Order: sequence, then C-alpha cells, then structure tokens
Amino acid sequence: MTLQLGEKHFTSAQPESAARRIVTFRVGDRTFGIDVGMVREIKGWQATTPLPHAAPHVRGVLNLRGVILAVYDLRTAIGLGVTDATATHVIVVVDVEDKTAGLLVDSVSDIVDVPVSAVRPAPDLERDEHGLIEGLVLLENDIVALLDLAAVIKDGGDVTARQARAN
Amino acid sequence: MDALAELKQTFFQECEELLGALEQKLQALDEGSRDSEDVNAAFRAIHSIKGGAGAFGCTELVAFAHVFEASLDHLRSGRVALEDAPFSLFLRCSDAVSDLVAAARNDEPAQARPDLLAALEKVGQAKPEAPAAVSDEPPGIAALGNLLAMVEAKTAAPAASAADDGWDDEPVAAVAAPRPGRDVCVRISPESDLFRRVIEPRVVIGSLPAEEIVSVTCDMSQVPALEALDVTDCHMRFNVMLRTELPVEEIVAKFDFTLANEEFEVEIMPAAANDDVVEETAAPVSEVPQNVAADLSAILARLGPAPAAAAPAEVAPPQAPVAVAASAPPPPAAPPRPSAKPAANDAAAARQRQAVSVRVDLDRIDRLMNLVGEIVITQSMLVECVRSLPYDVYAKTAEGILTLSRQTRELQDHVMAVRAQPVKAVFQRMPRLVRELAQTLGKEVKLVLEGENTEVDKTIIEELADPLTHMIRNSMDHGLETPDERIAAGKHPEGTIKLIAEHRAGRIVISVTDDGRGIGRDKLLAKARSRGLVGPDEKLAPEEIDQLIFAAGLSTAEAVSDISGRGVGMDVVRRNVESLGGRISVDSEPGRGCKFTLALPLTLAVLEGMVIRCGDDRYVIPIASVIETQHLANTPIEHLTFGQEVLRWRGEVTPLYRLGAVMGSSGTRDENIIIIAETERGGNVGIAVDEIVGQQQVVVKSLEANYGTVNGASAATILGDGLVALILDVDSMLRLAAAGGRQTAPELKLAG
Repeated sequence: MTLQLGEKHFTSAQPESAARRIVTFRVGDRTFGIDVGMVREIKGWQATTPLPHAAPHVRGVLNLRGVILAVYDLRTAIGLGVTDATATHVIVVVDVEDKTAGLLVDSVSDIVDVPVSAVRPAPDLERDEHGLIEGLVLLENDIVALLDLAAVIKDGGDVTARQARAN
Repeated sequence: MDALAELKQTFFQECEELLGALEQKLQALDEGSRDSEDVNAAFRAIHSIKGGAGAFGCTELVAFAHVFEASLDHLRSGRVALEDAPFSLFLRCSDAVSDLVAAARNDEPAQARPDLLAALEKVGQAKPEAPAAVSDEPPGIAALGNLLAMVEAKTAAPAASAADDGWDDEPVAAVAAPRPGRDVCVRISPESDLFRRVIEPRVVIGSLPAEEIVSVTCDMSQVPALEALDVTDCHMRFNVMLRTELPVEEIVAKFDFTLANEEFEVEIMPAAANDDVVEETAAPVSEVPQNVAADLSAILARLGPAPAAAAPAEVAPPQAPVAVAASAPPPPAAPPRPSAKPAANDAAAARQRQAVSVRVDLDRIDRLMNLVGEIVITQSMLVECVRSLPYDVYAKTAEGILTLSRQTRELQDHVMAVRAQPVKAVFQRMPRLVRELAQTLGKEVKLVLEGENTEVDKTIIEELADPLTHMIRNSMDHGLETPDERIAAGKHPEGTIKLIAEHRAGRIVISVTDDGRGIGRDKLLAKARSRGLVGPDEKLAPEEIDQLIFAAGLSTAEAVSDISGRGVGMDVVRRNVESLGGRISVDSEPGRGCKFTLALPLTLAVLEGMVIRCGDDRYVIPIASVIETQHLANTPIEHLTFGQEVLRWRGEVTPLYRLGAVMGSSGTRDENIIIIAETERGGNVGIAVDEIVGQQQVVVKSLEANYGTVNGASAATILGDGLVALILDVDSMLRLAAAGGRQTAPELKLAG
C-alpha cells in the first residue's frame, strides 16, 4: 500500500523556464498540490496515537519504519472539520524543513508539470486556509492550491501555540 | 596525510584522558596523598603527552611538557620531597598544558607561559646556567643537546669538590663509596645512524644500573669538523666504568633493545688498576669536551630556528640538583629511575591498553543500538503473534521466545554498557574551572566531588559539560561570598561547592550545592518586577521566587563580570537540560546556601517500562518511577476542597491524579489501578489508570525529532503491534495536571 516516488530530489528551485512538478491531492472537493521533491512517500491510512492537548489538526503520531512522525489532518487545518479516516484515506509523508511529517488527505490525484510562470500568487482568502496557501495553479478544469507545508505543520511542534489552542 | 590527521585526532583524544589523569593525580597529591604511584602516574601522563606532541610537531607543547616533566621527575626521584612540592604550581601547569593541547588541536598560536616555566625551573633548584636551547629540532639534535648538557655539566663540576650528578636526570655518584663487585669497562661505539634509530646515548647508558656507574666519559675525537658535520650522525664514543657484581651476560643483555652487538664491548678491568683508570678516563673529559662543547653550542644556536630560541626548552638539562659536599655520602641511590625504565613501562602499558580496548566511532555503536532496538520491537511483536496460536504450538514457541527475549536483553545490556561512561569524564574538568575562578574572584573554594563513577550514556556525558560549567560558575560568582564576608557571617572563610552524581528513579541526578549566601529573593523579585516578568501585585511563594533564577534576562550580580552576570546563565542551562529530556530545580536557604539539582535520563535509548491503558490509549510508564501498584477499589480516597483527590499511602497523604483526565485519553475510562510513582524530588504521587497491560523493555524514540515536546511525555515508543505509545514523564505530567486549564507563565513551571 506504499508508493515510493522516484524523483525525490526534484525541487522548486528551478530556473524560470523550468516546470514545477507537483503532486496533487484532494480533500473534499478541493485540490491541493505540493512540490514532488518534498514528498517522501505516500501510504495508506494507519491508526495514529493521539497526543495530549495537541492542536486540533494534529491527528497524532505513527510509526514509519521505526521513526515516529506526526500526522496532520489537512481537512482540519483548512477548517472543514475532522476527517473520518478509513482505509481509503491516504497519508502523504513529506519532508518539511528538517522534519518528516504525515499529511492526511482523501486521495492523491496526479503528478503534473506546471510552468513556474503559471503559478499565481494566492489571493487574500477569507477562509481558514489563510496563510497556508503559497500560490494557485489553474489546470484545465481545476484550481490547485499550492500548500505552504511549513505553515500547515507550524503550530504542531510549537508548545505555546498548541497550549493556547488547547486551552 | 589523512591518516596522519586521524592519528593526530587520536593523539588529542588521548591527551584529554592523560590530562585528566594528570590533574587527578596532582590533585590527590595536593590533598596530601604520599603515594609514589600517584607521582609516577602523573609523570607518565605528561611524558606520554610530550612524546606524542613531539611526533606531531607541537613545539610549544613539547617545550612546556618537557620542563614540566623534568620538575615532576625531581619528585619521582625523591630529590624534592613530596611535602615541599608546589602542587598548586603543578596544577596550574597542568592547566597550561591543557591550554597548549587545545591550541595545538585548533591550530591556534599557543600562549607562552614564561612565568610558569620560570617557576618550574626553580623546582629542584635549577642551575642558573642551564643552557637555553631550541625545541623543535629533529630527534638527533635533541639527543645531541641532551648529551651536550650532560657533558657540560660534567665538565663544569670541579673534579675534586663535588659529587655532581649533573647530567640530565641520571643521578650518578661520581665519587662512589667503595662498593662490592669488580670494575667493568663498557665501551660503546655506536654506528653513526644511532640518532636516526631514535636512540639516545642517554637511554643507552641509562639502561645500566645508575648506582653502579662509576664514571662516563665521552670520546669526541671522531667528531668531524664543523663544516662537514651532519648533526643527525652520531660520532661519539663512550666509556662507562662500572663497579658491579653483574655478570657480563647481564650487562650485555641490557643493551638488547638499543645497541647492536658490534656497537659495544664489555671488559672486566683488573682490580688493582681501578683507581688509576678512573682518573685517567676522567682527566681527558675536562679537556676535550670544553671546546667541542662550545662548537656544539654554536651548531645548536645556528641550527635552531630563531623564534624558538626564546623558548627555554626540550634540551635544557632539567635542574640538576646542587651537588652535595664531597665528604657527604653519595646521594641515596635507592630510587631506580633511569629514564629508560619508565619509557619501557609506558610502552608496555600502551601495548596492554591496545590489547584490551578499541576506539570505536560512536556512530557505529549508535547503529548497533538502533538495530538492537528494532529487534526488541520485533520480538514484542512476535510475543503478540504467538498468543493467538493454538495451545500446543504456543507452549513450544513461547519457550523459544522466552530464550530469545533473554538473549535480546543481554545483547542490549552489553551494547548499553559499551556506551556508558562514568561522569568522571566531565567532573574532572571542574576542579580546574574552580581553581581559575577562585583566583579571578578572590574567593577561597573547596570543590568536593562525589559519585564520579556513576555511569551514564555517552551522549548524556557530552551534554553535561556546559550546564555543569554554568552551574558551578553561578555558584561561585553569585552563591559564595568573599572570605571576609564569610568570616563576618561566622562561616569558614573557605567556601565549599559539592558536585554530586547519583542514580535515582532511573535518572542520573547531579547536584551542585554551595554553602554561600543563597538566592537573594528580594533582589530577584524586584528585578523580575522591573523586567515585567512578574506583575506588580503578584504574590509569589519564596520557592516560586527562587525559580525565577531560570527566567531569561535576570541576573542579580550587581556588576556584570566576566564570569556571569549577563543573565544568560541559568535560563540557558535550563533550556539545555530540558532539550535532553531533563529538568533542573533549585532549593535555596538564605544565608545557608543553594542547591541546584539536575536530573537527566540515563540514556536516550532504552528503558524498562510498564505498559498501561487508559480508555483507548496506551502509555508506558518507566518502571524506575513506579514504586508499587494497588487496586483503586481497596484504596480510600479523599477529596480536598479544591477538587484535588488524595489517598493515604504508607501513612502519608499522597495526591492522586487520573491519567486519562490529565492526558485527555480517548474512549471511556474506567480506572481500576493506582500506580504509586516517585517524582524526581523524592515525593510520591498516585496515578489512576484503567489497566496494566504488561511490562517490557521499550525503545525510546524521540518525539522532538519530527514533532516537538509533548507535555506529560518524555518520548514515545513503538509497541508490539506497531502502534506508538507515549512514555510518561511523571514530573512533566504533574505539571500538566497542575497547569490544568490555567495558562501559567512558562518561566514559572519549569522546575517541578
């Protein structure tokens, strides 16, 4: 149930003419994307161990071949409630800064090449994902919101922010 | 080149160990030990450092170490009585050596310590005319220099007046009392490559029993003219007169390691000719070498690189003791200490060390440790699988698994043991710190170390040095008073700092206790108020005020000093310690002193845990924290007015916490069991849980690596079914419980 991606070292730091290769995935009716270079692997849902007094979008921790990492519920992070995780849900394992984290999403859709010039800046969003979106890409029939992963997981490891929320 | 760099690294590592040993021995001697083995060990340490430093071209280090070694040698030989020896000087010198090693390691220019050198020279009454010489010449020149010094000393001694054993560190009774035995003449005519074989004539002659040498003469007639002279060639011939009872074979055997058979001959002299021979051989000594010696001095001066000439070093004959009067009996020849012997001992010791220990990269041990950890997980997984087997199969398999688990545990213990080190490695740096600070601050301080052999994982050892240094600095600067103040307060002028390590509740607890003035609570509180850390109307208990010392940006020292006072000390310590999964707390008694307690996990790798369940969640509580377990139903519980539950346990009122509520466990809770656990401060607490699932070794996995700190838990582990369980940290859990819904200032809840 684990899919390893080959091009792990593909990063967004490409020349202007180059394309960004993006993994897209869905949460509800929304489509999100991150650079393929940040994705370490994609695996099926696996039960997590909840953490005491963690931020709502921190689903808990799981064991990935001996390494413990936290899983973040993207649905909760963008304010759409808690994912009722089943075997069909997917955890995207990503490398963010120097940490490894899991992102709980509904499904992974595609890997697409997008010219860097096609990435538009994120508009001022009124919804909860404010600050989590780095840019937008228009595909034929879809809008892909590129995630700022560091912002998504930011509150997780930060004790005070987490406590503030919990209290 | 890389191989050399690697060797050099090894040398520096060894230096650290040697310096530790050196300092420790000197300290013991300073404190009144009269054990000659301590002196010998100190000498060996500095000798080995010098040897290695020479091989790696650390000039300054060699120079200093040599003088140091020489003064220690006076102690070893008994020329300076242990009672009179300036051990505080020696300790300062050992600090200086340590500085030089550090400088050499970092390729920084070394700081010359002429003051110490001068003081060292005085030990054992140095001869003022000790020739200064260069220190970084090839070994041949060094040998030549030694020899030269020897010859000079010989010639300088008026033949009639004194029994001057002036050459280097071999005491030779020139005028020997009549001894039993017969006269033997040993003629040594070494091949010219003697120096290149790294053999000094001094060592060759030193292998003869010093007390039996009647005279040594050097024949320099073969030395070519200055222009043609290759200083790495040996052109000297020696005649050694012995009065000995040793059979010829034994004398020959003494040169086994240094000379080829054709390089020397042993001749038994006719007894009657005895006196004449001595005088005949002695006579030319005073003539020939005079000019040759001058030539050699000139060579040395010319060969020596100019700057090095300033360093009085390497070949300076170390302080020949002043001659005894002619009528006096020859100096006691009892201490058998020709320089060849310690060298041989060192070599033997080194060989022995090599045989019993191997240096291993810590990374490799870590990988091994990780692997063992995975085996432990797999094994507990197997145990769960086996449970579902039909009974007859289960019985057999269970037996095998039992064996496997025993072996795994043993394997794990051994790997752990490889990583464990006594805290001595850190503790032994502290006396120096205290000495230096005491001098800077003008305070008198006695440092007491206890529990140095407490073992702890190497990773922890490395992290200990900084916090401990800070804590000791803090105690010395803020805690202890000056001698005058202490006397005024009716205390002993000398303050005491105790550094104690012990194992407690599965942790290593290190405390730094001083008997100084304690924390100035009023001042601290005023400062905290002025910085806005404490509200103007906020009332704090005395203990709470003490904890403010860990808040950032606070320092009570009136003047900012070099040592501390910028307020970056204790909060940095706190952060360091907490990042290791440890905690620090302070207990202060005004006027009586202050005690900082630091508790750290013994290892970051494995622990013995009790797996417990609360609702749907499982946790691991370190078995070391558990004192006992009992049924909730049998325990009378009282409710205090503010909602806190307490129970009576062994006659004491013990607070009770419900784990599920504190940790926010999911599912329905049904508490049945109370676990009585110990906190770091020695208090007890009851923790109510649903069920005890089992007991097993768990591999500690960091939560910080990919997430962050989790309140109530020190780390996590992976259970047999592959799921993660949090490892509870009782103290952190209590803080979480105490915090409840109330958001406390982070500064105030650090030292539960």
